[in-house]
Amino acid sequence: MTSAQQQTGGWTDSQRRHEHLLLDEFHRLSSDDPRRVQVRDELITMHLPLVRHLARRYRDRGESMDDLVQVGTVGLIKAIDGFDATRGVELSTYATPTILGEIKRHFRDRTWAVRVPRRLQELQLQVTARSEELSTTLHRSPTVRELAASLEVSEADVLDALEARQAYATDSLDAERDDDSAPRLTATLGAEDAAFDAIDDRETLRPLLEALPERERAILMMRFFQNMSQSQIADELGISQMHVSRLLAKTLAALREGMSAY
Amino acid sequence: MSDTVTLEFPAETRNVALARTVAAAMAARVDLPLDQLEDVRLAVDEAVTQAIAVAKSGSSVTCAFETDGNVLRATITTPTDALETPSTTSFGWTVLSALVDSAAADLSDGHLAIRLQVTSDLVDV
Repeated sequence: MTSAQQQTGGWTDSQRRHEHLLLDEFHRLSSDDPRRVQVRDELITMHLPLVRHLARRYRDRGESMDDLVQVGTVGLIKAIDGFDATRGVELSTYATPTILGEIKRHFRDRTWAVRVPRRLQELQLQVTARSEELSTTLHRSPTVRELAASLEVSEADVLDALEARQAYATDSLDAERDDDSAPRLTATLGAEDAAFDAIDDRETLRPLLEALPERERAILMMRFFQNMSQSQIADELGISQMHVSRLLAKTLAALREGMSAY
Repeated sequence: MSDTVTLEFPAETRNVALARTVAAAMAARVDLPLDQLEDVRLAVDEAVTQAIAVAKSGSSVTCAFETDGNVLRATITTPTDALETPSTTSFGWTVLSALVDSAAADLSDGHLAIRLQVTSDLVDV
């Protein structure tokens, strides 16, 4: 029995009929019909357990579950869009290789921007994974000392691994930032503009901020104008604290570069 | 336990990474959680960048990191011809002050000093 079958095996006949009706409706609706988005959302929600199930296979590789579920969901969406009910296969069966494909691509795309020794690469993955675990149990991010003790390595090793993290490219997730899975933060951005009005280099800053992708801009606002911690932002956006840290560093570097160009 | 580490380098942007690395290592000594450690790294990055921007040509930037219990203080200094401290209403300064518990700049004898202080969020460690 494949994992996909196990996943849908728990469904009742009426759930399965409901899914078929939704799929029928989805493919009949024209692409600009607002109802189509609703139907697709419902289909996504129904199959999220499958995405989580598949993502769990890769949980020991140093990426956070949240990030894996996020990329897996992209695969699910592609599968829903490309699904042809007349072929007589279940959506879950059809979607499984697509979801796995996206997760694997995520690992493949995460290349090292500079050469980092293999031992350090592995340690970096362990530090990332352990940091997520400890954050869950401690309800805050761990210290270097706690990470070193937990991984039974030296504090210097943990620091090296953290440094190596900065060299880790993150393009694959960024590429998906334009999809509508991003939270509805635009609503809060208006109020933050008032904060910017008090800043004297806003004339050079504003166009740069406006050019930022929505998620990067939201992270910046949450960190610097709402005083949220990286962990809180990570929770809000459903990504890892590590990822927030990298995006924040990258965004600030880009802003600084842009401002010095004026 | 108190400790001071001082780093001096030519006022060139390629040296900012050195300051960041030392900042992270010193932050670890006062048991900052990773959240705060990353913030300190960014804050030092920003402060050093601001110092380099106004440094006299051919001069150095000095970063002194002092640990004192669960407190980390960083003082970034450089000789400058600037007549004013960096504007506290600039974006860079807004970022700086959001990242650490306190950030201040002063100017004396043609030297700019940016002083940052952060205390570990952990009460008892």
